[in-house]
Parts: sequence; structure tokens; C-alpha cells
Amino acid sequence: MTVVGTNVRRADGTDKVRGAAIYGMDYTEPGQLVAKVLRSHVPAANIVELDTSKAESMPGVRAVATAADAPGLSGMFFVLKDQSLFARDVIRYVGEPLAAVAADTPEQADAALAAIDVVLEPLEPVLDVEQSLAEGTRLIHPDWETYETLVPGPRDGNLAWEASLERGDADAAFDGADVIIEDEFRTQRQHQTSIEPHAAVARYEHGRYVVHTPTQFPFNVRGRIAELLGARISDVRVIVPTIGGGFGGKLDMMLEPFACILARKTGKPVRIVNTRREEQATCGPREGAVVRLRTAVSSDGTILAQEGRIISDNGANSSGETVACANVASLVLGGTYRIPNARYVSQVAYTNTPPTAAFRGVNGPYCVYAQEMHFDHIARELGMDRRDLRLRNLIRAGDEIVNGQRLDDAFLAQAMDRVERIRPWGPPKEANGTLRGIAVVPLTWITNPGPSGASVKLEEDGTATITCAAAEIGTGAVATGIRQIVADQLGLRFEDVQVSPADTDTGSYDHGAQGSRTTFGMGNAAQDAAVKVRDQLLDVAAGMLEASAADLELADGTVRVQGAPDKQVPLPAVVATAMFSQGPIVASGQFAAPPVPFDAGCMAGALFTSFTAATYHAHFAEVEVDPDTGKVTVSRYVVAQDVGTAINPHMIEGQIQGGVLQGVGYTLFENLRIGDNGDVLDAGLETYRLPTAVDAPHIDIEILENPCPYGPLGAKGAAEPSIVPVAAVIACAVADAIGTPINELPLTPFAVLRALRSKQNE
Amino acid sequence: MSYSFSVNGQEVDIESPGLRPLLSVLRDDLGLLGAKLGCGEGRCGACTVLVDDAPVAACLYPVANADGSDVRTVEGLARHDSELTAVQDALLTHGGVQCGACIPGVVMTLTALLDQDARPEDSEVRSALAGNICRCTGYQKIVDAAMAATETNGDPR
Repeated sequence: MTVVGTNVRRADGTDKVRGAAIYGMDYTEPGQLVAKVLRSHVPAANIVELDTSKAESMPGVRAVATAADAPGLSGMFFVLKDQSLFARDVIRYVGEPLAAVAADTPEQADAALAAIDVVLEPLEPVLDVEQSLAEGTRLIHPDWETYETLVPGPRDGNLAWEASLERGDADAAFDGADVIIEDEFRTQRQHQTSIEPHAAVARYEHGRYVVHTPTQFPFNVRGRIAELLGARISDVRVIVPTIGGGFGGKLDMMLEPFACILARKTGKPVRIVNTRREEQATCGPREGAVVRLRTAVSSDGTILAQEGRIISDNGANSSGETVACANVASLVLGGTYRIPNARYVSQVAYTNTPPTAAFRGVNGPYCVYAQEMHFDHIARELGMDRRDLRLRNLIRAGDEIVNGQRLDDAFLAQAMDRVERIRPWGPPKEANGTLRGIAVVPLTWITNPGPSGASVKLEEDGTATITCAAAEIGTGAVATGIRQIVADQLGLRFEDVQVSPADTDTGSYDHGAQGSRTTFGMGNAAQDAAVKVRDQLLDVAAGMLEASAADLELADGTVRVQGAPDKQVPLPAVVATAMFSQGPIVASGQFAAPPVPFDAGCMAGALFTSFTAATYHAHFAEVEVDPDTGKVTVSRYVVAQDVGTAINPHMIEGQIQGGVLQGVGYTLFENLRIGDNGDVLDAGLETYRLPTAVDAPHIDIEILENPCPYGPLGAKGAAEPSIVPVAAVIACAVADAIGTPINELPLTPFAVLRALRSKQNE
Repeated sequence: MSYSFSVNGQEVDIESPGLRPLLSVLRDDLGLLGAKLGCGEGRCGACTVLVDDAPVAACLYPVANADGSDVRTVEGLARHDSELTAVQDALLTHGGVQCGACIPGVVMTLTALLDQDARPEDSEVRSALAGNICRCTGYQKIVDAAMAATETNGDPR
């Protein structure tokens, strides 16, 4: 290996630092129209009348689209199909689309939206998950029983979905427990807030929709557009320009269907871009949740059983990933510690609020926050050291996790040990006037197992091109990782490997830039193709060199006889020879994750059932709390992360640093609040506070290599997990500092002062 | 109203309402797409350009204020076919770029900082960057890049 393991600069970097990269928000087409969407200002209402006739005849207006133009029902990943593109008869959230307009100018489009007559009959909004699930609450989807689902899942009225896991005999374990601890935690919505808002440009040509959109998951967007429009999947083509950030928020279609419909109606390209306000108020954030945990423990700190109920907020429909990922909650609660008897119920509830969706670490951050705060509670009750409690119950190699899956490569103890070597466990130094606390948290996390296809061809000049539809979301998985893997297979320099832009017409299916899967899944597919290309090259070169293919190697852009470096042919000569003997050198590769054995009978309503290419982590935080202002400062942070094999250490560090800081924001200040009218209060960056360079703690990073047998060169997912344990470790450290737990996020100065004050009043 | 100023060294004459944001003129009239409209409220810094060497949020900055000034954008730092500046180069060497949507603004902020002070401290770099939101990197590698670029600035403090 020569390229894998090095910190090559990203292949798309030069254009990015020059400001020359064309992002989705920069992409335009000649003659394009401008589209805008009319959105609901009320959270719940019956639509009595929607009259677009005035708008349609206004100057510059080329087309108006309404529910009649989008007959399909759909849902994220096609799991629960309860979403129509436009509200039909009923409005279910503030911001729900009612109509869309294409006009020559933005001013004309705005004027047309204002001229659409809407008559509504208000309904009582349901804004809270517990209210939603309470007996007698108005049904947000009265027709819920008619919706199609991908797999059977327990559902009931406002309970959009329920995933459950039961294993062992929890009741018996609770009966025999020395101590039973119970807690409840509440967490907020967090918005992805990529710098680039959603944007799309569509045209309609030869009876097909051609959409340029900065999506993380082109094939999902293609399928979702088709389903909502009632079109054939292959009649939609998705092409991905440079993506200006996603973090889960660009996995799903958002504006593309509006552009498609309007392009078909007008015969012209149609461009639509969200304002920041639309972006924050209507594009699905991480869901808010309530987590209740009850745990049976023996007096020596052994966990005997745990019950958990997680209620997460789906918002008004399942256009986000909240339903699809419901079972991640159970896996993450029971994936890090030995919990021999467990009963988890993960409920996803409808509310009259904007739909929630995927944000890096789906379902994880709040479950881990709850579990770790709960563990600290257990330690307090037992008078036990918090780290010792964790080590006692930690999953070790060969242990079974809660779904019955055996983790033979578990590396949690090693991760905890690495952190210990960097920052030995022990009380923080005293400091004048500030309260200080520490915490350490282990974590098992997943690599998304989704499939990938790719092809690799050799060009006449001996360079290689990978054709695939993997989206470069910024992590470097496409801009570095898969190129590095292919370069090593073919003995090429990094700069001799190109990747075609993501396009659903040319690339094979790929499961999207999600769950750290691109280097893992696409890396495997590209490697599979590269191995076949390598075999073709060796076969042709064997004839040229009059040697056996088994004695040949690829290196430095040549095929040469091992041990006889003067017997070699340059790749362009091999390609030229192949051209008229076997044909051009090209091969396709595929990847599907191997099945993971687990106890399938213990789960119901679960789409994620097991951990593929599990990764192991430990995070440590030291915090300072100002008792006068309540301000929390993270003064020290340590991450030990198992990545399998490090393909590009710089890129991995960047993922860790970025994920941790997103976690710091989630823990300390990010809060996408919903007002009494069901509207998003923090629809601008004035009040939706994002972490700045001044908020970023120094992070000590240890990259651990614990290779995965089915990862490309042993690599596992590396990008997603660093956000997952951050709220847990900081909140536990804050509780240590102030001497009392705070069971609700975010830990704003007000929340900290409230906790300090109520402790003084005890 | 008509306004005259230079953009990346070239004189431009613009007919425009005076309160129109400079960013709109740069992107929509002049085709300079480097600076981004991230938030439109002067919070994210993706639209940062230099007006007479000072960073401004071009999404809020009225074009009238640019009259008679020298405006520099990311496109003006290094000609497209020439070498990168030290800041641009260091950002790539140190892995400071992920999605890169914030980078045109970050590059201008750092360029202005290093023009003023060849050897800023880590904390000064962070303060200067406080108006540039990067959602991807956690900033460390951007700060690393800035500190490395100061090394190539030569003259010691």
C-alpha cells in the first residue's frame, strides 16, 4: 500500500478554495424560471378552498402547481407512505406546501403566491408527543390505517410507528434486583443548518425529469420524486453538483418535485432555492424526544435488566427518517453495555409540527445522553466510581449485545484504555471561581450496511476512472477515500484516479452518503471493480511480457515482473494492446453487506436490526462551569475512535473534530424551538446559535485500527459517530461539576443556573 | 443610481438601487459565484469579501457603500490558472476543507487577518473567524492552516 493511509489532499479541493466549485445553490440553466412555494401559516386546518385562478393569469407567471399535480403518497425510504407533496384537504404543519408557482422573476412569483386565495377551517393543533399519544387526542392522520408500509409495524392513530425489542426475562430480573433506578430525559430539535440551503434545478426533456440537486442520496431522491409525482423511477434523472453540507438533511427530496412539476408544465428549466428562513422552518431537523429508563442493578454494579421507552417526535408526516430509524434507539441503548434482560419500546408520534428527519447520528445522541446520565445516577446510588461502573458492564470481545448479536471484535475496553492514557481518570484540578467536572463515555456505533455498485475503466493514458453515483458530501470519501483504495489496487498515483460526477443515469445504485457508509460501501464496490480491472491488466500484460500473470505486479503506472523490475510495460501500452484483443479495460463491482447473525425474534417493527461493521469509541470531557453566569466551557476533550483501517487520517480527524463540535452545539445551545402556534421560532441564525471557532475545544484524537474483515482493506465507517456520545459526556461532566444532574438538553446558562439554584434550595 | 468601484482590480460601473446587497451585484451581475448566500442576515460569513481590505458581510453590505472602493473576492486572490495563495494552499494541506461552502468567506477573513498581522496567535485567528460559520470541520484544521500560513509569511513578529 502506498496511497492508502496517507493524508492526500482532496481532489475537489483546489476549486473549493478558489471559489470556483459550482454548488447546488450556484447551479443555473439558460432560460430558467424561478419557483416559489406557498406554505401554510397554521399548524392544523381543513382546506375549504384553494383558488389559484387569479395567480395563474398574473404577469410573468408561467405555471401554478397544486395537489392535483402530485397524486402520490410517499415516505422517507418508502417505509410509511403518509406524505403528499402538497397538503390535500388537510393542513398538518406550519410550512406545509399548498401550491407552487413558476414565474420569470422572483418578484412575480411572490406576487402570484400572494394572489392565491386560501380558505381554511382551523383545527386544534397537537404539538406535543405525549399529548399526541394520550387517550382521546384528535387524530392527525384520520386515514392512518390506509397508508402503505414497507414492512409491518405496530401503528395506532397518532402513534406513527413503534419498534420494540424484548429479550430475556426483565420482570424476573427486576424482582431480584438490589437497586432499581428510574429516570426521564427530554431533548430538543437540532437543525443541520448546512451553509448551503436546499436548491434544485429541473428540466423536462424527452419525457423525463432531469434534476440537478445537491443531495446526499441521489437514488432515494429519484425514487421519492417518482413516487410523489406518480412517475416511473427511471424517468427521473438526478445529477449532483458540489454539495454545500448535508449532515443528514439532504438525504431526502425537498424542493426537487416542485421544480420537476413546474418544468413539465412550462417546458422550461425551473430553479428553486430555499431562503434561510424556509430552510430552518421546513427542512426536517433531528427529532425532539423523551427517554424513560428503568434499570435493575445488583449491589456490585452489575446491570441485571433495563426497560426503556423512547418517544420521538415524527412531526406531521414520515418524510424524514425518524420512523425508519426507530429501532436504532434500542440498539444503541443496548449495544455498549451488557444488558442481559431488556425491554425497549421506541415510539414515533405524529404532531402538528414540521416533520423531523435525519441528522448525523440518527436517534443516537439523545439515547446515549439518557443512558449515560442514568448510569451516573446508578453510580451515585451505589456509591460507585462512574468509570468503574462502566468498565464492569462494558461489552467485551465475544459478548452479545441486546439483539443477540455477538461482537467478536469489540474494542471498547481498548478505547477506554487509550483515553485513560491521555487523560488519567481523576478529579480535575481546582480552579479559582469555576466548578469543574469530568466524564468518560464508551460507545458502540454502526456503519450503514447499504449496497453500492461502481465501475472502473482504464483510460488510454493509463489513468483510471471510477464511474459511480456516490455523493461527495464533504467528508472526502469520494474526493479522497475511494480514489486512494483504487489507486493502490492499480498501482497508480492518487492523481491518476478520477471519479465521475454522481448521476443516476450513469452510476449504479448507491445507498447514499449516510451512516459513514461511502468509504465502506462504495469503497468495497470500487475495490471489487478495481480487482477485476487489475486481473484484466495482468492477463493482457502477461502475454506482452511472456510471463505468468501470477508473477506480475502493478506499480508506478506499469505492469512488471516481480523481482525483475526491468521487465515491465507501461499501462498505456497494456490498454492499447487490450483494446483490439480483449476490448477496452473496464469492470463493474458490487457490494452488499454480509448478513450479521442476531436474534431476529426479539424485535418487532425494526428496520435497523443489527450493527454492521460496528465501530468502538470512547470520549472524555472536562468542563468548567461559571457558577455566576451558568456558562459551560469544555476545557478538555479526548476521542479514541476505532475506524477499522485509516484510509486518510487527516480526513478522519476532520470528521471527529466536526462531529464533536456539532455535538457541543447540541449539548450547550442549539435548540430549534417550536412556538405555541406550531411554528419554528428559531428560523434564523440570529437565535439559532451555531458553534463558532471560539467555542471549539481542543480535542486529543487517537485513531484506533481494529480492521473489519469485510471492509475495504479493513476500513469501517468513520464520519458519523463522533457526534453521538458528545451530549452524554459533556452533560455527565457538567453534572459532576455542579453536583446535580440536568435531565434536559440543551444545557444553556439558564438551565445550569436553575439547577444550581434548586440544589442550593434543597 | 450608478456606482463605480473596482472588483479584483478591474473597474466596474453598476446601475443599481443603493441599498441592494453587494453580494447580489457580485453574484447576479458580475457572475462571481465564490461568495455564498448562506443566511442573508450577516451571521454565517459565507459571503465575506474585502472592501478596502476589511472583511464585510456582502449579503448585507449596500452596494452604495462600495462606491469608490476596492472590492476583493475569493476569485481575485489567485488567477484561476496560477498558484494558490499561502492561505488557500494551507487549507488543503491541513485538511481544512470539507464541503467547502464556507471556505470562500474563510479564505477572505484569513487573508485580511494575515495582511494586517503576519503572526497572529491561535486565539486571534479564532476571534477573527468568529463571524465565519463552518458546520463541517470543527474549525481546528482551519486554524491549523492559518497558523501554517503565518509561518510562510516570513518576517518574524
